[in-house]
Amino acid sequence: MSDPARNAEIASHLRAALAAIGHADDATLKAELRAIVQWQEAPLLAGLAKLSQQLGEALGELPVVDAAVGELPDACARLDHVVAMTEQATHRTLDLVEASQALMEQLAAPGADREALLRDLRGHLSEMALAQSYQDLSGQIIRKVAGIVRGVHDQLAAIGLPPGAAPRAADPRAASGPAVAGVDRPAASQQDADDLLSHLGL
Amino acid sequence: MRILVVDDFSTMRRIVKNLLADLGFTNTAEAEDGGAAFTMLKQGGFDFVVTDWNMPGVTGIELLRMIRADDKLKALPVLMVTAEAKREQIIEAAQAGVNGYIIKPFTAATLKEKLDKIFERLGSAA
Repeated sequence: MSDPARNAEIASHLRAALAAIGHADDATLKAELRAIVQWQEAPLLAGLAKLSQQLGEALGELPVVDAAVGELPDACARLDHVVAMTEQATHRTLDLVEASQALMEQLAAPGADREALLRDLRGHLSEMALAQSYQDLSGQIIRKVAGIVRGVHDQLAAIGLPPGAAPRAADPRAASGPAVAGVDRPAASQQDADDLLSHLGL
Repeated sequence: MRILVVDDFSTMRRIVKNLLADLGFTNTAEAEDGGAAFTMLKQGGFDFVVTDWNMPGVTGIELLRMIRADDKLKALPVLMVTAEAKREQIIEAAQAGVNGYIIKPFTAATLKEKLDKIFERLGSAA
């Protein structure tokens, strides 16, 4: 409500109240005074309403966190699938490599049907190339899982549960898998390992 | 020369076996963790072990300690082929008595170089 409109309304209530005093009309006087008090309390009431709305929204958001967390088992199943798919693709590639090695040995033998052997080799190479298509599929799945993990992280942060700093492995000798550049402590190179071992007398 | 290749990933076991075959070591066997490997080693007949470090069950470093603590197996050469590449880990493996340490990903040339070095040392020690 704009100020002039509000002032006009208050003035009208005050005039009505004065008139009620003049007429000794107690009921009207009380009603007009109540209207003025209500106007004064309005911002406080609006504030309380807003606060309760925000509280309601905050409480309403809690189940959303559950939904995001609920996606985690699904994320695990997706990653298990990636492990299986990449394993299968690697075995397929190794099958073709071994088969090609056998063809090459036949190629070196005297009296070999070069044309047929080369055709088979070409076929193996193109199948090997095709077997690499797992990268596209596994890449898409891993990106999706990264999205789920980010979502869970954001939801936890939104309700004030920011995870603390990642706990560093207490024992640096504990097995932790490949070091990832920019995330883990830089790993030793083969040259570093060789130097270290030679220093230790190996 | 009979070699035991220990890794929890079947693909890596196969890659190592292929590389060993290219180097002339065609008599190989596989185990998927340190526990299975130790059982096979105890049955005898192996001359060399190539092992990963990080495996569910008995890890490579534990397998190395078990081998060094076993009267019959303690002289068996062990080559660690692993993604574990912290200084502390390399030192720990050396202290546990490893004969060579290769960091994944590795090349065929690195594998050949380390094997040659181990055999050279064993030859001069014998």
